[in-house]
Amino acid sequence: MSGAENGRGDLTFPRGTWGVAPADVDLSRVWLGVAAEVWARQPGWLERLAGRALRSPGLARALLTTPSLLLGWVIATVAVLGAGAAATSWTGTPWVALCAPAVAGAGIAYAYGPGIDPAWELSCSMAVSDRMVLLVRALAVFGLDAVLGLAASAVALAAGSSGSAVTVTFGWLVPMTAVCALALAAATVARSAMVGLAAGLAAWTITVLSGQSASGRFTVVVTDSALILPYLAFAAACTAVAWYATLIPRGTS
Amino acid sequence: MNVEITGVTRRFGRNQAVAGVDLETGPGVFGLLGPNGAGKTTLLRMMATVISPSSGRMRLLGRDPGGYGPRREIRRRLGYLPQSLGYYPGFTVAEFVEYFALLKEMPPARIPGAVAAAVERVDLGRKARVKLRTLSGGMLRRVGIAQAIVNEPELLLLDEPTAGLDPEQRVAFRALLRDLGQRATVIVSTHLVEDVGAACTEVALMDAGKIVFHGTPAELTARGEGHGAAGDAPLERGYSAVLAEARS
Repeated sequence: MSGAENGRGDLTFPRGTWGVAPADVDLSRVWLGVAAEVWARQPGWLERLAGRALRSPGLARALLTTPSLLLGWVIATVAVLGAGAAATSWTGTPWVALCAPAVAGAGIAYAYGPGIDPAWELSCSMAVSDRMVLLVRALAVFGLDAVLGLAASAVALAAGSSGSAVTVTFGWLVPMTAVCALALAAATVARSAMVGLAAGLAAWTITVLSGQSASGRFTVVVTDSALILPYLAFAAACTAVAWYATLIPRGTS
Repeated sequence: MNVEITGVTRRFGRNQAVAGVDLETGPGVFGLLGPNGAGKTTLLRMMATVISPSSGRMRLLGRDPGGYGPRREIRRRLGYLPQSLGYYPGFTVAEFVEYFALLKEMPPARIPGAVAAAVERVDLGRKARVKLRTLSGGMLRRVGIAQAIVNEPELLLLDEPTAGLDPEQRVAFRALLRDLGQRATVIVSTHLVEDVGAACTEVALMDAGKIVFHGTPAELTARGEGHGAAGDAPLERGYSAVLAEARS
């Protein structure tokens, strides 16, 4: 690697009288000052915005390192919901509503935890609370998936899908909240994203199949407004579990 | 005393990893020796506030880590190098160290200078802007040490810090430890007896979750004299003699 690349070799003094520093100059200190400037990273606009909103530059940085907010994951989410929007507009079946909870649940399970976040063990010893990192990341993943889901719903509606926008939106948004909360609680308690993912997907599959066996329609789980309150109550219970599981008890017992 | 531990135990299901440990230590380099599975890493993780004790009392830097506020304050003044440290492969060395400086809630204006100092102290200045995915195991270990010392911690916990370092780097690292130990409490968990002999002012030997010896390296060496214990070096013979006695 050249000196220019590492930002250090430029300071190499050529041999000669002018290359000798005066005795009262501490070259190490000078070098550290230069290195601090050369190596300093400039946060992007999104990080600066998040830092201001969260009042914590560390939390903002942790948010932008969320594994399930990386570009590849976002592209995969867009592809799945885009396919769902296309299928919804062609068949009239609310596929966006049916696949959005599962996609978001997977994103939440892979937002934080051992084996998912490379430096998770270290993060647990940091002043920026690991619980705050977990909650902020979960909120960001959920928010992004909600926006993408809304966009997919809008595309499907614009393409002539039946059903009101409100029904379609709340039909998947509320179950998505419940599935995400379950994935978060399971991943937090088991300390495994795979367990969270399995719990979220299994619960959603069981719910869909139960709805089908009870009514003959597998879409009833996202179209029956009577289910909204149970979904919300379930989500609140799972969130409480995740909250409790991230508490650190006092050092005595 | 920066570390005050009384009767601390930690269970994982039926397995008791740490069984009633008492420990007090102030500034200096403290070596935590013991065979694999002795409970060193679990004890270090409790001191790093990653996991909580199952029972017992613990005070770090004069605070109870069980309360949110005190724990946050401890973590600001803590440096921790886990046994297996994960890395973000797309980060550069400087970015990785800066990330943990941010998570330690260092004042943003101080961070660039602190990052440069920490990276230089582990002799990675030439690699500061290199992606972590391109570094060797020994260099990654030094990156881990840099993030641990970036906030000039008052309590520094290092789990097998010399794993993967070549002999030259280990000598340099021991000098760094001695320097850090003048101001801070440095606790080094290792199974390499020579690291303890070269850098530590105090040493504890753990076996089966308990501390079976606590003293100076010279005292540990003395325990091996005249016992015919196994080991190539005097300190190793002391280590073997204490372990044999504890298990008999």
